[in-house]
Order: sequence, then structure tokens, then C-alpha cells
Amino acid sequence: MSDLQRSFVKAKLARLPPEAPMSPEPLREGHEDGESLDTLGILHHDPHDDDASSASSASSTGTIKPLASRNLFARPGGASSKKSQDQLPWSDFFEQELYLEGSFDKENITYHVYLTPPAASGPLFVTHHGAGSSGLSFAVFASIVRKMLPSAGILSVDARGHGETVVHTKVPRDPSQPPIDYSLSTLSKDLLQVLELCKEKMDWKEQPSMILVGHSLGGAVVTDVAKTGELGDKLLGYAVLDVVEGSAMDALQSMQTYLSSRPPAFPSIASGIEWHTRSRTIRNPTSARVSVPSLLRRDADPNAPRPWIWHTDLSATQPFWENWFIGLSKKFLEAKGGKLLLLAGTDRLDKELTIGQMQGKYQLQVFPEAGHFIQEDLPERTAALVVEFYKRNDRSTLVLPPKVADILKAKQQQQQKQ
Amino acid sequence: MSDLDRAIAQLRACRPIPEPQVRELCYKARELLIEEGNVVGVDAPVTVRIHTIPALRLALMNGLQICGDIHGQFHDLMELFRVGGDVPETNYLFMGDFVDRGFYSLESFLLLLCLKVRYPDRITLIRGNHESRQITTVYGFYDECLRKYGSANVWRYCCEVFDYLALGALVMGASNTLGTSTSTSTNESGTQLTEEEEIEIEILNSAGDVMSRIPRSMAASSDNHETVNSSPLSETSRGAPARSGPVGTGATSDSLGSVGNPGGAVLCVHGGLSPLVETVDKIRLLDRKQEVPHEGPMCDLLWSDPDEIEGWGLSPRGAGFLFGADIVKLFNHRNNLSLIARAHQLVMEGFKEMFDASIVTVWSAPNYCYRCGNVAAILELTEDGSNGGYIPRANGDVNRTGDLLGPVAAGGQISGPGRRYRVFEAAPQDSRGMPAKKPVADYFL
Repeated sequence: MSDLQRSFVKAKLARLPPEAPMSPEPLREGHEDGESLDTLGILHHDPHDDDASSASSASSTGTIKPLASRNLFARPGGASSKKSQDQLPWSDFFEQELYLEGSFDKENITYHVYLTPPAASGPLFVTHHGAGSSGLSFAVFASIVRKMLPSAGILSVDARGHGETVVHTKVPRDPSQPPIDYSLSTLSKDLLQVLELCKEKMDWKEQPSMILVGHSLGGAVVTDVAKTGELGDKLLGYAVLDVVEGSAMDALQSMQTYLSSRPPAFPSIASGIEWHTRSRTIRNPTSARVSVPSLLRRDADPNAPRPWIWHTDLSATQPFWENWFIGLSKKFLEAKGGKLLLLAGTDRLDKELTIGQMQGKYQLQVFPEAGHFIQEDLPERTAALVVEFYKRNDRSTLVLPPKVADILKAKQQQQQKQ
Repeated sequence: MSDLDRAIAQLRACRPIPEPQVRELCYKARELLIEEGNVVGVDAPVTVRIHTIPALRLALMNGLQICGDIHGQFHDLMELFRVGGDVPETNYLFMGDFVDRGFYSLESFLLLLCLKVRYPDRITLIRGNHESRQITTVYGFYDECLRKYGSANVWRYCCEVFDYLALGALVMGASNTLGTSTSTSTNESGTQLTEEEEIEIEILNSAGDVMSRIPRSMAASSDNHETVNSSPLSETSRGAPARSGPVGTGATSDSLGSVGNPGGAVLCVHGGLSPLVETVDKIRLLDRKQEVPHEGPMCDLLWSDPDEIEGWGLSPRGAGFLFGADIVKLFNHRNNLSLIARAHQLVMEGFKEMFDASIVTVWSAPNYCYRCGNVAAILELTEDGSNGGYIPRANGDVNRTGDLLGPVAAGGQISGPGRRYRVFEAAPQDSRGMPAKKPVADYFL
């Protein structure tokens, strides 16, 4: 096992930039608390991390007896001090936030996005979170991407009904319809509109080259946007994190059961953060500290014993669930641009993507040690992968070996000269 | 019965052998493999068959069977041996990806390794991109070893063997024509082929019955309507753009068969070509005894794919390259090759010839991952003794056998050897005792 770890870490280290990325202040703070931070896990690879990982991958493939040293049931935070549950502000991870006014026929919408603008000619990584999450799901990821690639910009959106993005309906919606239109096509239009508004607001002459990154529902959205082709050759590639049509459709049946098993409210934000790390929903405390606060809002009733309730009512989005994922695999394979699929387990591939993968149609990466929120659980490795994916698909620097016809031509010319 | 034979028998029954035995096996295998070059030379063996009645047909020696990905599908590997002929009577060349994905990577790889140690000249194993520490930790082989032995030792022994596997193989002296088929029911479909007619491609089902035959002349002269129409593949094999066809998309659309001069070797490699490898000799110079690197020639050989492009392209896989017809033809010409056989890509029909039959993909894992619904194939090459003992070989004298072929060579391309594809389906479901289905993830929005 230790050999494996060593070779793994070595391989990973080899891919990282020569200088170790500096960890931001809050991360260091956390580390002093003695927590195992996955953001740093790659550099300070303590065995504790990997034990959890192999245990989680094992659980999906069969039975492996946990060794005594495994600490399977240890609480991730250990003897967590109160400090480690404190929330972290978004400004530690992004340079600015924007409120952008968009409009459709029947509604106005105020989009809220986090932005770290790209340097001149730098790429823009556009991230879209999953249902029930928020733009801050990519906060830690964003700051690491920026460190690995200082010219890069990151735009992380709050989808409608999530975070601080608010829909104002002009025309009252049909009461038989859900109050907010969460259909995939609308979410795609939202993302395209945000990109346009952002360009105007920031006074960009043209859109920067883009890599779209979507987690879960966000993966379906970025795939749909890529398939529309509206971004043209500005779209270098798209990355989809832990969502596959087949397994998502299978999982939908048990979604309501899962949702009802979540606590409906929390006494404080800190307890919300604590629940997310303790239940291993989010396995990296730093990520949870920045992303969880945006998932909760205060109950209207000031006397409620547990005043912090879920910001987004996920159950209410149920009418759209199938609509989000149907046809995802096909679109993912057909859309133009580089394709990256990052999963938390190999068994999540459906038939279409298994065939596509074995025909070499896209890049597949698996982080078995991560949970569903890959970019929050392993922000460092996710960022390294996405940055590498960008570099590979960056057409401005792409140099391919010469074509045979060109070689022959050159030879002929040489011979003629002689 | 030697220990090795006992181990073979045990593995054939899909039962793992004890850890100390694995260790010894891997040690022996490494001693054997270290002697092999990066590119192993393999002879296409002479086929001698005695025909009586079908049931008593006895194959003294079959041809060389070239196989693609296996991916731990042990029961399908048994089916492959049933279809292709048993070891050691039949020679086999496996082009890598023995492990991962399937549930019996361990038994499959150890059996192949045992056979290699027991019959070193009859079995050739070359390395696939899954024969790597990094890939096996993610795609199943590592977990399987841990599950079956309680420790990673066996996985470690196997990975050490992976580092010694050859990167390619060169099949010499493959016959231009196919020997008499094993089947007696050849002409039932009304084909007008006579024994003398030169068959370039023959496709057999798992029972050994001929499903279709493509004579070399058909590919060369498209005005030979009688022959063309008599073939079940006639519609598509005449260059119609449709990719659909009975079996083997290559034989039906991409490949029009090949014309030209006989001889030329067949290069077998898991993935494909590399921009850094212009000649086969360059492969021989690589230092292969290492983990598969993330880039460079060794990585490309195991990761690249042919594609309908010109020149080189970016591989969507994130490793290796895409390469077009011009690259393959130049490489084959430069190296006096008639064909490149490779695996690495799932082909629903089991095999696919591309670029005027200058390259073929062979895929040997039926119903891949127990869900893809594809058939598998193996490619048989023979050195045929039936042609009056005449054996066309590449000897640099390209015109020597020109007359025999009739149709004129085009563009200096060496014609492909006679190719017999045996197509087979997955072993019956109930014989497989698959582990219980994994629970679905509980959160997916």
C-alpha cells in the first residue's frame, strides 16, 4: 500500500507546476487545527487520506476488510474545535461578485456571479454547480486554478433559485406549473445570457477562450450549452463532474428518500457546516466552510428553534429531474470541443459512455476517493486535472507533428534546390 | 503433472492460485520476458489440416490467432480459446489490456501468464495501456487483487511483470491467401468461389461456419460484378459510404480489400503509432522496463488511435495521438509492412479494417463491461502450405510475385495477408457468477 501511495503521489507531483502552489491563509489555519485537508493532501499526503479513499472505492466493488489502522469510523474533523466550523467569506477565493440584470419574455432575473477576471488573452473557466448547491461550490477549486494558471479567469454562477440569483416573474405563472422554471433549456439560456452580460459589464472586446465546467446538474447544463454551439470556437472544451445519464436516472428514484433523510433545518450555520463534513457529504472542511453558508437561509419565523433552513427546496425541482438528464450521454459525445468526464467511481458509466470511452471519444478520469462533490472534496486534484485539460485543448499553443503531405512537399523542394 | 500444469488447470477452472505460486510464476515470467525484445518476432505457423467429416475434423496445427482487449472477462477468454483453438495446438498473440473492468482480471492474466511460461513460443503477450500501476488502481485490477488475497502483494507482482511485457510484435511470413477453411458449409450461400480463387478476407462465426468471404480480386477490380454480387457484403464493400454492414465495418466500407504486392510483415501493437516513432527499429531502442509514461513514444504506442483525419491529431483520450491514413501508409511503406494490427478501441462488430486495409482494430471482449452488447473477434493469420509449398514473403523483390495476383499493385502499398476473422459472442450469462450489482449513488442532482 505504501508503495502504491508513493507512486501515486509521485505521479501526481510530477504533473504539478514546479513550485508548490501557496495555500491561502484559511487553508493554513485549518491545517494547524490538525485536520486533513484534501487541498493540501496531495502535498502533505498523510496515510489517513488514502485509507479513507481506498475504503470508499472498495465499498463500491466488493468487500475488503478494514484494517485496524484504517480509522473508517473516525470523524473527519477529529476533535474539531469550534473554529474549524467557522464560515469563510467568498472574497477569500474570488476577486469580485457581480449582479447582472437579465430578462426573458415572462421574467426578469438578477444573476449573481463570482468572478476573477482573466488576464489579457487568458482563458476563462466557467463553472456551474449542481442542484441545491451554489457558485461557491467551486470557490476553493477556483482559487487553486488561479494559482496554477495565473492568467486564468474564473466565473462561477449561482443558478436561478440558488445562491443569490433571483427570478422576478413579469407575468404570473400558471399555478399548475412549478413556481420557478428549472427546465434544462432555460438553465442553458441563463448561462449563455450570463456570459453575454458579463462581457458587457467587464467591457471585454470579445469573449475569452472558455472551458466550461459543470458539476452534476451543472454538467448537464454545460453539455447542453456546448451542444448548442453558440459559443463557437471560443469554447475549447467542457468538463463534466460526476454525472452520467444512466446512473443519474437510476438514482432519481431514491432521491426523495435521500432528501427526506437530510435534516430540514439547522440551529446555526456552523452546525450546517458540521453536518456536511460529518455526514461526509462534503469531505473537505475548508470547502464546506465556504460553500455551506450559501446553501442555507434564515427561516421567516424568527422564533424557530432551528432558524437555518435549506435555501433551495430541492423537492420542488422534482418535475424537472428527468428533463435534466435525458439525452445527456448522447449530447456529451456529440458536442464539439474537448471532453472531460471526471467521476467519483468507475461503475457510474452507462452503456453509451462505456462504449464512447473505449472508443477513445473523450477523456475519463476517476477519483475513487472523492464523494459526489468532487470539486469540493478534492479541489487540488480537480483543479490540476482541469488546468491540464485546458492546456491540452488550448488551440493557440497546440503544435502537432507535421502532416505527411507537408513533409513530402518539403523534401521535394529540398531536392529541387539541390 | 507439473506444478505449472496444475496451476493452469486450476486457473482454467477460474480459481486463483495461492500467493506464493503467483510470486514464483511472476518471477519466471519476468526472466522469460526480459529476454524478449521490445518488438517480438513471431512466425505465422504453417496450417495443416486433415479433412474428413466435419465432426472428426482434426486441426494438427492452427494458424496464429491475434487477439485484442480481454479486460478480465475470463469466461469470454475461455470462449475465445474454444473458438480459436486450444493452446498449445494453436499459437496466440494477445495485444494487451488483459486486466481491469471485468470481474476476473486476476484469473485471466495469471492464466495467460502461466501459458506463456509453459509454452513460451506459442504465446506472445504485449503490453496494453491498462497494464500499468496507475490505471489498474482506478479501473478494478488493484481492488480485485486486494479482495481476493487480502493484500496488494499479488497486484505488485503482476505490475512488475507488466513492466517487462513487450511493446509490439512483428508477424513474419503470413500467407497472402487463406488456407482451406475449417468449414465444409462454405458454399451454401451460393458463392461461386472456387478453391483456386484467392480469398483475402474470410469471416467465420463462433461455430466455424463461413459467414462471408471476400476474394482479393473483388477489391482490386470493381467491375467484376459476378463476384461482387455473390458476396453477402457486396453492397457496402464497393465503397458505399454507409458504414453499416454484416460484420466488421472495415470489410464492408472502410476497407476495399487491398491490392498489390504480397509479403510484408504485420506489426502488432496495442494502441497505434507515435510521431516520435518513424521506424520499427525506433521501438526496439526504447527503454520499456518502466511504468507507462504520460507522454512520449512508449505512451503513444499504447494509447493512440487511427482516425479519419489527415496527419496527426489531438487524442480526445488525454494521452497519445490520433493518426490518419497518410501516416499509416507512409509507416507501412517505410517499414515494409503489409498491415498494422492493433486493439485498444471497442468495435461493436469485433474488428474494423481502415485505410485500404492498412490497419485493423481487433477487439476480443464480447459484451464489454457486461453491458455494451458488442461481439468480439480474433484475427487468424496463416502461413499456408497448401499453395504447392509456395510461401510469399517480403524479400525486397517486390515484383517476384506480382503475376500471381493478377490485379496490379497500386501506390506501392504492400497487400495485406489473408485474414480470417472469427467472430464470437459473450459466454452464456449463467456461467459467470457475477458479483452483486453495486448500489447506486444516493445523491445525483
